[in-house]
Amino acid sequence: MTTGAAGTGTAGAAGVPRLSVRGLSKRYGSIQALDAVDFELRAGEVMALLGENGAGKSTLVKVLAGLVAPDAGAVAIDGRDVDLFPSARSQAAGVAVVHQEYSLVPAMSIAENLVLGQGDAPDLWLPWRLAARARRLLEAVGLAHLDPRTRVERLSVAEMQLVEIARLLGRDARILIFDEPTAALADREIERILRVIRRLADEGRGVIYVTHRLAEVFRLADRVTVFRNGRSLPALPTAELDVAGVITMMLGRELGTMFPGHGQPAGAPVLEVEALEAPGLTAPVSLQVRAGEILGLTGQLGSGAADVVRCLAGLAPPAAGRVLLARRPVRLDSRAAALAEGLAYCSADRKRDGIFFGRPIRENLTAPWIGRVARAGLIAPAAERVAATPVAARFAVDVRRLGTPVGAMSGGNQQKVAVGKWLGAAPRVMLLDEPTRGVDVGARAEIYRRLRELCDEGMAIVVASSDTAEVFGLSDTIGTFYRGRLTELRPRAGWTEDAVVREVMHEEAPA
Amino acid sequence: MTAPRADAPAAGQAGRPGGAEAARLWPIVALASLAVLVIAAMAVTPNFLSVENLRGILRNAAIVGIVAVAMAPVTLSGSFVSLGVTQSAMAAMVGFVVLIGWGWPDWLAVGAVIAGMVAIGMVQGVLVAAGLNPVITTLAAGAILFGTVSELTGGRIVRMGPARPAWGGGEVLGIPLEILVLVLFTGAVTLLMSRSVIGRQTILVGANRATAAVSGISHARVTLVAFAVFSVGLALAGILNAAAFGEAMANSLTGLTFSVIAALLVGGIAIQGGAGSPWQAAAGAVLIAVISNMMVLNDFSPGGRLAVQGAVVVAAVVLIDQVRRRRARG
Ligand SMILES: Nc1ncnc2c1ncn2[C@@H]1O[C@H](COP(=O)(O)OP(=O)(O)OP(=O)(O)O)[C@@H](O)[C@H]1O
Ligand SMILES: [Mg+2]
Repeated sequence: MTTGAAGTGTAGAAGVPRLSVRGLSKRYGSIQALDAVDFELRAGEVMALLGENGAGKSTLVKVLAGLVAPDAGAVAIDGRDVDLFPSARSQAAGVAVVHQEYSLVPAMSIAENLVLGQGDAPDLWLPWRLAARARRLLEAVGLAHLDPRTRVERLSVAEMQLVEIARLLGRDARILIFDEPTAALADREIERILRVIRRLADEGRGVIYVTHRLAEVFRLADRVTVFRNGRSLPALPTAELDVAGVITMMLGRELGTMFPGHGQPAGAPVLEVEALEAPGLTAPVSLQVRAGEILGLTGQLGSGAADVVRCLAGLAPPAAGRVLLARRPVRLDSRAAALAEGLAYCSADRKRDGIFFGRPIRENLTAPWIGRVARAGLIAPAAERVAATPVAARFAVDVRRLGTPVGAMSGGNQQKVAVGKWLGAAPRVMLLDEPTRGVDVGARAEIYRRLRELCDEGMAIVVASSDTAEVFGLSDTIGTFYRGRLTELRPRAGWTEDAVVREVMHEEAPA
Repeated sequence: MTAPRADAPAAGQAGRPGGAEAARLWPIVALASLAVLVIAAMAVTPNFLSVENLRGILRNAAIVGIVAVAMAPVTLSGSFVSLGVTQSAMAAMVGFVVLIGWGWPDWLAVGAVIAGMVAIGMVQGVLVAAGLNPVITTLAAGAILFGTVSELTGGRIVRMGPARPAWGGGEVLGIPLEILVLVLFTGAVTLLMSRSVIGRQTILVGANRATAAVSGISHARVTLVAFAVFSVGLALAGILNAAAFGEAMANSLTGLTFSVIAALLVGGIAIQGGAGSPWQAAAGAVLIAVISNMMVLNDFSPGGRLAVQGAVVVAAVVLIDQVRRRRARG
């Protein structure tokens, strides 16, 4: 790994920050994404960059990466003014970024991906050196067990994220930027990534860390900068802050409660799963969900929780077992069949199979149920708008921006579209995989509240999540998975949050 | 690599920030360049604006335009382009000539050719829906069609004889028939794509097939419909051409594949699918016809004309890409 030279030697005189941003502005059409932002980063520190969805965090990251030219403002590295646009200049200035969206090439091998975009890659011509180098980088992020020749498309989301970080390590960078690197990961992997990042900072680099997971901030960051509506608040040392204080800074108000109350699910089960065997499961799974109930399934990545949800959604046909909806057996051999039965499904990876990136929000919202809006197979634009508006409003998506491509929205707003669109299909059961990935605290509380409302109106909801706090806070019933097996299933009253975490880790000693 | 995901090949199906926006912006660029071209043409070519010449341009654009518009749904749905355009349209043309020659009534021959082409198209659609590479499937279908027609006609010219329809190459209310068909067909396919459920689903499948699948949208159905529409356009083009000339042979319509793909690209329809509208393909065909016409009036050699056409396609593709990148960057 190429460490050392990158950071420590050039730490700069005391008082000269590694990176200083003054009066930076960037406007997209009518939206002022950055409004005279000031920002400072010292060598050897981890600076957390926080803010609501759409606050401008990723826009700052893109400016620093040289992907976006700012309208106004100045950037200095080690006291010298620099122009970071376009990205080649940013790279030359020593800035390296893990973007919020993955940028690996799925069809290429890990080793090839690790040298992508690095102008001088002489190793590329010598496969064994390419592999050796890849192995070194993989080891540094705890992926030593992977064969560098594996194609990236075969990796899990967590592994991809680690490969993405490994790629940064291969470069001499003075400033490392991570835009929500853990959004897709479970506790164990997060721990691993945080350790790697801490080490990179200790070696003298400046690290900017964007996240919505506040617990990480207090474990990792030295200081915190909060963005609100495109403006920056002065940086504060983490030691002087607490979670509630940070949230108040982000929202400009107090959050109130994160989780809504719990329901009183009653009556007969809506969804009954009997001895289900499906890809990813090592033992048959049986469970029930009643109307008005939120069932939370949790486990580490690959534990099987997400696989149950995918199977119920019709994406991975069951090998054995029975699934009943309102007492009637249903076939789950295709997604269309499951959808017709009233099973809505929101995937964990919105960019892959949750949204249509370049299409307008309106089309994204109506996609699964456009047939309901149409007459004789024809869509009346006015009718579509009328149908889409309440769905957007219900999930706090700006109804004036229905014509905007969803890809131009901030990550959290994309997620609201990905979840919210299913309302239009009036489903009986809502299946959600990692429903609040990359969603800010405010919007997260919003999504939880909406889900609870839907439940109170009689829907049954199944949430698979590797975020144990989320599952504990939201669910009426909690099921834990370990290595493809449902290990425990009981009402929330029978759990404590610690018990959930212990059960998820199972007999293993905590990492 | 710090390039945004949009520019990585990885983005492929998943995300193309700016793709839709570029497609939205492109018509303006296309219209502006058309205006510039027309003015330039007027300046250097005195005869350009005569009614006869303009009519000639549209006539030339019509056949290419009809097929390009018909192929738009295939491209929009993410199945790229057909490489068997020439052979398919030729088969329709020869088929129509033969049926008329046998003494079939016009309407029956028209119906039979359309039905036959749709059947051939559906077979390709089924194969593509089943996962075969669309480019290879259409190329193979083209080869089979060409081989069959060559064999059956012995490579000779087939003629309609005295039964040749009176409307062939004719006019309706002073408008040449091909142009009328182009306008109506473009309107119909554009409406189908923008206002019907299947049209919307076609574009969504092209924008992101995985998300479409999760949304319960059938890739197979979309592909079949796209190939059916495409086949209707091929049949119309073949019939119009056959009726105008009264004869056909296996080597008719060479170069149509290239012209149609060029019209699609110059029109700014995203080659990976998911963004654009069929009328843009018609606009692309007209734009190319204007350019060829200018060159003819200014005595360019056939080779020179082809080279310029190629250059126009490259320029258009580069320009679209630039617009897309700019938009993606914001
Ligand atoms: N290419 C673009 N075109 C139009 N608007 C954009 C574009 N990119 C970003 N925006 C808008 O700029 C604002 C800031 O977006 P940004 O992505 O920086 O937010 P963020 O703080 O990273 O949010 P999140 O936490 O959800 O990722 C948002 O309102 C977003 O919709
Ligand atoms: Mg962001």
